[in-house]
Amino acid sequence: MSWLEELSDELAARGVAGGRRERILAELGDHIACEPGCEVRLGSPAVLAARFAEELGTDMARRSAFTAFAALALAAAALLISQLATHPTGRYPGFDSGHSLLLFIPAALGMLVAPQLALAAGLLAAWRAIRRRSAPILPAAEVALINRRARIGLIAGLATVVGIELYVADFSASLPAWRLATAGGVAACAGIALLASARAVRRAGEIVSEHAGRAGDLFDDLPLPGSTWLRAQPWRLGSAASIAIALGATLFEWHAERSLAEGLQRGVTEGVLVAVGFALFGRAVGVVAQPPEQEPTALVE
Amino acid sequence: MKPDAVNGQLEPLILATVGEESAHGYAIVQRLKERSGGAFDLAEGTVYPALHRMERDGLLSSSWSIEAGRRRRVYRLTRSGRSTLAERRREWGSFVRAMEAVLG
Repeated sequence: MSWLEELSDELAARGVAGGRRERILAELGDHIACEPGCEVRLGSPAVLAARFAEELGTDMARRSAFTAFAALALAAAALLISQLATHPTGRYPGFDSGHSLLLFIPAALGMLVAPQLALAAGLLAAWRAIRRRSAPILPAAEVALINRRARIGLIAGLATVVGIELYVADFSASLPAWRLATAGGVAACAGIALLASARAVRRAGEIVSEHAGRAGDLFDDLPLPGSTWLRAQPWRLGSAASIAIALGATLFEWHAERSLAEGLQRGVTEGVLVAVGFALFGRAVGVVAQPPEQEPTALVE
Repeated sequence: MKPDAVNGQLEPLILATVGEESAHGYAIVQRLKERSGGAFDLAEGTVYPALHRMERDGLLSSSWSIEAGRRRRVYRLTRSGRSTLAERRREWGSFVRAMEAVLG
């Protein structure tokens, strides 16, 4: 097997494919053609392919985190526009005004719960990418964390736009067609942006790196007061965040609805949802650092 | 010179080399060797990931050309690459002056 063939196999094994691999092979092929027999000075094909994969994987993860965040911002705008279009007065119809609870319940979950997860995961992905923007190579575990955060954010973002579409379908009989078309249209546009971004995140996850090092955790990203105490038992952060959000939501809704009972009901619901979100996604978004022996050695999980 | 020492400074070296005249990978490696009097002994393959990274960072641009029937990727400095090179030269000058002042 020639040096170039070996390099080609090593690149393929690390997920460097298509036009990128062709370009690398063409450049190295030209190098060898300039001075036949110089392969030994080029170094090991495995080492060179690993270097390409590590740099490419890092760069693609960072870029896809930024695109994911931009697509999620579009989804947030779509959610806002859809609410303004369907309920310009700010008064919402009761859940029994629509076609069916089978549409209303997933729509409500998609529009109320999923955006919060999308915001948290998308922000964390983009923030880690910004914090580590100047590093040419990141540890494989850290790249995997960025990709995972972006992926969770995008899935939650897609759940949001699906929620908007279900909401439009649920209230299609009681709202003017142009209002429904506006809400459905902006949600569809955001959905397309999210899917395009998901493709970039998937491609970034296909690059295989073995660069050693820690992924770090949420406390590396956010300078929280008492981080040593919180890091020792991450459930403390989950509890504190749940309580703070429950209190905030209670006060907000109490003021908005002029009813303490209504405020408490929504506040407690918010707090419980945040706690459940922490329990389900905390490890995936890096609230808990993975011990070194459990860190993945490849970007593909 | 140890390869690690060269790899740490590969980016400004490539910027300076390409800054003279657009070049393909092999020519860049040869220029580096010639200008350093053979002191920069690095695995030649390491230049290529650096070239790709610098292009992604906007310091270099590149295009295909055909020479002797072979496709060849030719790199040139961008405006951002030119200003980065000037910055690196200033930094290096300060570093050398400081080292000389201490070492004598």
